[in-house]
Parts: sequence; structure tokens; C-alpha cells
Amino acid sequence: MTEQPAAEHASAEHASTELLALATRVVSQARSGEDVEAFAIHSISTSVSVFEQEIEKLSSSQTRGVGVRVVVDGRLGFASTADLSDEGLSYALAEARSNAEFATQDVGNVLPDPEPLTALPGIFLPGLDEVPTARKVELALALERATTGQDGRVRGVDNAAYGDGVTRAAIASSRGVSASYARTDVYAWVSALARDGEETQTGLGLTQGRSFDELDIEAAALEAVRRCTRLLGARKAATAKVPVVFDPLVTASFLGVLASPLTAEAAQKGRSLFADKVGQQVAATTLSLVDDGRLLAGPAAGPFDDEGVPTRRTELISNGVLQGFLHNTQTAARSGAGQRSTGNASRAGHKSSPGISPTNLFFDGPTTAAASIVGGITDGLYVQDVAGIHSGVNPVSGEFSVGATGMWIRGGELAEPVREVTVSSTIVDILTAITLLGDDRRFYPFGGSLAGATMLIAEMTVGGA
Amino acid sequence: MLDESDVRDVLDAALGTGGEWAEIYAERRDATAISIDDHRIEELTSGRDQGAGIRIVKGGQSAYAYTNILTRQSLLDAAKTAAAALQGDRKVSIVDLTRAIAPVTHSVLRSPSSVSKADKVAAARAAEEAAWAVGGDVRQVAASYSDVVQRIFLANSLGHLSDETRTRTRLVCQVVAARDGIVQTGFEGPGGSLGAELLDLHPPDSVGRQAAERAVRLLDSVPSPAGEMTVVLNAGGGGVLFHEACGHGLEADSIVKDTTVYAKRKGQLVGSTLVNGVDDATVVNGWGSFGFDDEGAQAQRTVLFDAGVQTGEMSDRISAARLGVTPSGNGRRQSYAHLPIPRMTNSYILPGESDPKLILADVKHGLYAEGLGGGEVNPATGDFVFGITEAYLIENGELTRRVRGANLIGNGPVALSQIDAVGSDFDSKEGMCGKDGQWVPVGLGTPTLRIAKLTVGGTE
Repeated sequence: MTEQPAAEHASAEHASTELLALATRVVSQARSGEDVEAFAIHSISTSVSVFEQEIEKLSSSQTRGVGVRVVVDGRLGFASTADLSDEGLSYALAEARSNAEFATQDVGNVLPDPEPLTALPGIFLPGLDEVPTARKVELALALERATTGQDGRVRGVDNAAYGDGVTRAAIASSRGVSASYARTDVYAWVSALARDGEETQTGLGLTQGRSFDELDIEAAALEAVRRCTRLLGARKAATAKVPVVFDPLVTASFLGVLASPLTAEAAQKGRSLFADKVGQQVAATTLSLVDDGRLLAGPAAGPFDDEGVPTRRTELISNGVLQGFLHNTQTAARSGAGQRSTGNASRAGHKSSPGISPTNLFFDGPTTAAASIVGGITDGLYVQDVAGIHSGVNPVSGEFSVGATGMWIRGGELAEPVREVTVSSTIVDILTAITLLGDDRRFYPFGGSLAGATMLIAEMTVGGA
Repeated sequence: MLDESDVRDVLDAALGTGGEWAEIYAERRDATAISIDDHRIEELTSGRDQGAGIRIVKGGQSAYAYTNILTRQSLLDAAKTAAAALQGDRKVSIVDLTRAIAPVTHSVLRSPSSVSKADKVAAARAAEEAAWAVGGDVRQVAASYSDVVQRIFLANSLGHLSDETRTRTRLVCQVVAARDGIVQTGFEGPGGSLGAELLDLHPPDSVGRQAAERAVRLLDSVPSPAGEMTVVLNAGGGGVLFHEACGHGLEADSIVKDTTVYAKRKGQLVGSTLVNGVDDATVVNGWGSFGFDDEGAQAQRTVLFDAGVQTGEMSDRISAARLGVTPSGNGRRQSYAHLPIPRMTNSYILPGESDPKLILADVKHGLYAEGLGGGEVNPATGDFVFGITEAYLIENGELTRRVRGANLIGNGPVALSQIDAVGSDFDSKEGMCGKDGQWVPVGLGTPTLRIAKLTVGGTE
């Protein structure tokens, strides 16, 4: 048992080292007066989705590529290639150089200097390469069976799926950055369908980890079944201003809305409701909002960001007060005033130059037993799912109005299910009204790495029939 | 791009577990993108991408594996990974590969690789500067130039083998104008399956000027009236409506799933007898054109409406098999990392016989729409809402006041049936169409169209 993982690990390291050698080869051709950076990435992934015990779709991929940035005299050029032959790499460097010639000068066009890096060995668990595709298919099939076999009202699934990925990234620059890492991600999810007459309700169950054996499909199946069956019989509700409890999944969706306005890119372009609010109270005094790229429990954990800057813990909101924004090297340089990158440079693969995104984003502060939060409410709404979060939320004005499904809370208990209601407020009013944070923090891999937790919002407008 | 004997071995490996047919799609793509925003070059990137996808199909199941490492071993590994999904015994073997000839070629005079980057930057700059030059009400100008040369190799176990080079070039200018609290936008975005000769056909300065003039012109407008009225769409202006409210409903995957209002109406009179609609991938140098679709079917012209009768649908191999029809050559994909699905190419309503000027002359009270913006369509019912970018009131056969803020509200099949005049003119526009997370270039075109009755949503 000990021998094989060690060998596997060694081969993973070998692959990352090879990738770094490739990046270094590009950078070694830097001319005097220019800075050159090469970012190389190699990913292997598999996804399987099944329906009624048959494979509906299986997709597997292996891709790699290099993105090259050249900075000359405050001008930046970018080019990428998936052709990693000497000719392909020369093409990318020559194109990046010629693109820099035509670019507009900008104080933000700088490459970061190297900083000491600490590895995060926990993000790569060996063995995924050894799991045969057939076992992955079997896991998705077993997840579907586990979901449909528990409750007579669950008539099937919309989809049961398995996915995994092994990502290796390396970065080198003529300023001395030189680093690489490998990461594994494994997850499975199911969307269960409960039916009663004409009515259909869906519920999501999710399990994730860094190795195949960490997946808990029984737990995911139970979660999906519980979530869809408890919505059966949902009716419209009357309009009211009441306390609202966010399910962890809803809290994660809400964090997804905050991700873009909390980037310095949005703030600098005037596209953020937080743009001029640094130092101001924007949330409850007990609440903090944290981005932490080193948190192993978060899927997005990594030792450094997509331009080689070490990841770190950044408090965006401390005790309700807005502290600042997420930065990459470019926005930090544009800010001046000693601002440094927060290690949030992010690329969509090798084909794009770095933008900004959160790593693992979560609410922090004193927590309460999640199970007891509903118990303290005599009349309110528990929101299990929200719809229209992209069209119903304005990240510039902060207006927030989304469709919701959930259960009414009566006398401290979840009572009748409700559907087709809207919950509305503004982003800052919601942040300010968060009075209890549950102790059930859990990361969701949808749209980033966003932490859910049960939360009580003291009051929101619930719009019903 | 790939060695033929390697291709045979890869397809052979793919069929080892019971697949009915297998396919390999490989591409290499060189792209340049230049964008200027607020006087600054915001983006200037070059990319070289390559990769191959191997698909195995058995009944309704698809297994897909792709890689951008184009070695024999990597392709064989991908084939075996995909094959592992099926877990059966070999059923078929490969039919001898025969090279297919495309029915149409889209000749390129000045390939992007023969044009200097300085000239490409200059084209975007010229559009930008001409837009600013229009005057003081112009507040924001964004201009972009992009080109791509895509080489595609395709082979399948049914014996098909083809390769094709697709070149596309586009110039886009977007302008925001403002005065006294009124903000309006103007857009021009010509493109084609062309090289740099696009810039001769559409000189960048005139593209920039037209976008800016439109934005400024719209500042002198009054809020649109609301209510049911006759609506005339200018040539080219109705293309988005036909694409969204009719075209998507005639894509065969939604017909198979019965999620569209057109699903069970083939052979029925749906539109007015004046309406002839096609989807045509053979339009020479068209933005949505090609020689073969992305699963090897020949480019073709599919009649969707013949004198108002719904006659066809746009299918790929899998949806055609489900419907029991011959694939119409509409299987398209964004890249090697995607499975092909039914998509439009260039979807047009064809010119009719009415003099465009006389179409207006008969209208006592109505709206003349120069161009439509974004919209939403409910595929199940065909109900739509579209914003109008530029419109005029028609009063006693004459265009009078310019109006802003108008919407068109209606239903696809109903609007088609209400068309009571089709002009002898024609114009087309270029767009990018998104579906299931995949973006492909599409052409949109119509003659001048008159819809006898349509609800206009306005602010007054």
C-alpha cells in the first residue's frame, strides 16, 4: 500500500517538474530590457453522467498549454500556444513580444517579483490515475441507485454525475519566479426528483474530496432525497417582512454574487457597489468575510496564484467593516499606496492573461449550532434554493431580488413547504442583518469555491401571492 | 494534420467495445484579437490552439475524449478511455476512408497570416478614431478586430475523411453617446469567412462612423408609443427575430425532446404564404458558412419554410437518426473540446416581390424598426420580447419621428403568419450564437418585412 502511492506521487512531481522546465525554457530566451513570464498548465479530467442506469455522457480530456507574457517599458503583450514543440513555444514568445510593441503603456503592466513559497502537499492525493474509468462509471450508477432506492416519493433523478481532475501548473519568469504544484479534485453529485401527482421537486446532493475513496455517495444520496421530498406539497405564501434563514447552498450562491464586486478590477472600473466604501460598516459587527487560498478544506487551495504570488488569508470585511479588495499584481500597481497583490490572480487556463477571482471565500465570526437557528424563530422563511440570482442581483447598485423555494418556519420548526416566492433586499442590508452564522461551513465547487453555512438574516421582504 | 494510418488505428481502438460508429475531429487554430476601449489597447493577444476529440456513439449514448496532445499514443489513449464507457463487444469495423470534396469553397484573398499586426491594429484604430470624430456627444468608443484561421481534419468509421481551412475576420465598433441624461448606443460589426479583404468591403472608418452616427442620431428621439400596430422591419433588421423566435425552435434536438412550439407542425402552414425561410451554410464567404459541418456532413441549404409551410429542420447525425431523416449538415461545435449539436449557420428569410418603398406607403400608423437588440424567447410557447435599437414612427406612409425604448412583444409562429409584405431587397448581419455553453458564428438575414399586427411595448 505504501509503495504504490509513493511511486505515483513521484511521477506526479516529475510531471510538474517537466512543466516547469518547459516554462523555464521560454523564459531563458528573455532579452535585456524585457520581462518574460511563462505559465504552463496540464490537466486531465473525466466526467460521467448517468440516467436510468445507463451512461448518458462520458467525457475525458487531457490538455496542456503555455501562456506567455512579455513586458517592455510598461507595455504588455500576451500569446498562448497548445503546440509545445520548440516551434510552438518560439511562436508564442515572438507573438507576445510583437503584441507588447502595440500595447498601451500602463503602470499596472508589471510582473511580480518572487516571494518565498510554502508548499501545500495536502491538495494532491495520489492514486486517481490508477482508478479505471469503469469504476468511475460504477460510482455514478451506484449514486443513482442509492438515490432512487430510499423513499417511494423519489421517482428518479434528473442526473447523477461523477467528475475528477488532476491539474498541474508551473510558472517561471525572468524576474526569478519559479514554481509548480499539482492538485487533485474529485466530486459526485445527484439531482433527485420527487413527484406527487403533477408536482415535481428537485434536490441536490453533493460529495467531494481529493481522492476517489473520499467520496461518500450514501451521504450525497440522502441529502438529495431529503432536499427534494421536504418540498413536496409546496404552495405560495403571503407577502410578509420576516426573519429569513439561508440554507448553506443559498449562502454559497449569495457569496457568488459578492465575488465580482469584491475584486479590485470591478472597484477600479466603477463596477462595484463597494467601490467607495473601504473603512465603512457594510455588514453586521460580528461578521467577517475572508478569502483564504491556503485553506485545505476549500477546493481552490493552492500554494500560489496564477502569476506565482503566494496565496494567503485576506480579510475583506472585518467585524463588519470593509477592509479592501482582492488584487492581482496589475490592480495592486494601479492602486499605488503600497498595495500588494493578495494572491488572487486567476486565469481560465493557459489561453488567457490573469484576471482576478476569489480562492476559497467564506463568512467568518462567532458561530451558532446550525440545527438550533431555526429553533429560535416563531414565524419566518427557510430558503432552500434560489433562482434568477444572476438576473435578479445588480452588483453595482446592490439590489437583490430572487425567486425562492423553501419551508415556512412556525414555532421554531420547519413547517409547510413554499414555492414561487421572492425574497428581496439589498446586498448591504442583507450583510448588515446577518445575526447568526451556523457552524456547518461547507465548500461548494460551483462557480468558484464558495462556502455555505446556515445563516439567519433578521428581516427580508418575502413576496408571495 | 494527422497521419491516415494512425487515424484508422484510433478509430479501430474506439470501436473495440461495441460502439456503432466513431469519429475523430482534429483542429489547429491561429487567432488574433485586438480590442481598444477608451483610447487604450485593452487586449492584444495571439493564440495557437490545437486538439482532437474522439467520439463514440451507441444509440443515445455518447462517449467523448479529447486532448490537445496530437501524438499517436495520446490519441490511442483517448480512444481507449472513451471506449471504456461502453463495455460491450466489437460490433462493426471501419469502412474504407474516402476523401470527401466540399460542395462550396470560401476563397480568401488576403489571409490573416499575410497581414502585419500593425495593419490589424491600424484597422481597429481607424474605426475608433472615425467614431470619436463624429462629435461631442460621443462618450465611449470600443473597437475590436479579430481573425482566426482554423484547419479541421475529420474522419469517421463510416468512411468519411475530409479537411478544410476556415478563415474568419471581423471588425466591431460600439459607441455610447449621451446628452441631457439620455444615453444611447450604436453598433456595427461586419464579418465574414474572409481574410483582410473584409476591410476593403467594410472600410474601418466608415464602420466606426456609422456606429457613432447611429448612437448620436438616437439622442434626438422621443419615447416610443405602445400598443398593437403594424411593424415594418428594415432589410437585415428582422434577422435576429427569425433566428431566435423561429430558428432555435427548428433545431432538431429540441424537436426530438418536444420542447418547442414547432415540434409537431412539419407540413403545416405556419407562416404567411409570402414567407420562404432557409438555413444556408453554402453562402459564399458567409459568416456562418463552411464546407463541411463539424461532423463531416456537406454544407447545404435547408428550406425551413416554403411559402409559409414548415418543411424542414436543422439536424446533426444523432438528432436526424432519432427523427428518421437525413442529417442536414447542422452539426456544429465550438472546438475540439465540445460535442457537436444542431446549430444554425446562416438563417435567412428570402427576398420577395414588394418594392420596399411601397411597403411603407400603405401604412397609416405603425413602427419602422431599423435594428433589433437582445431578446428573450420561450421555446415551448414561441412567445418573444425583443428590444429595438433604432425605430421611427410611420404616419400616413411616411417616416416621421425617431423613437426610443420600444420593444416588440409577440409569438414566433403568429408573427410569421402576420407577415403581409416581403421586400425585394435583402441584407444580412453577423452574430455569435450561444447554446449549451458553446459559441458559434451565425449569419442573420432578411428582406424588408411588414408584420400586419404586433404589440409594441413602449414607455408612453
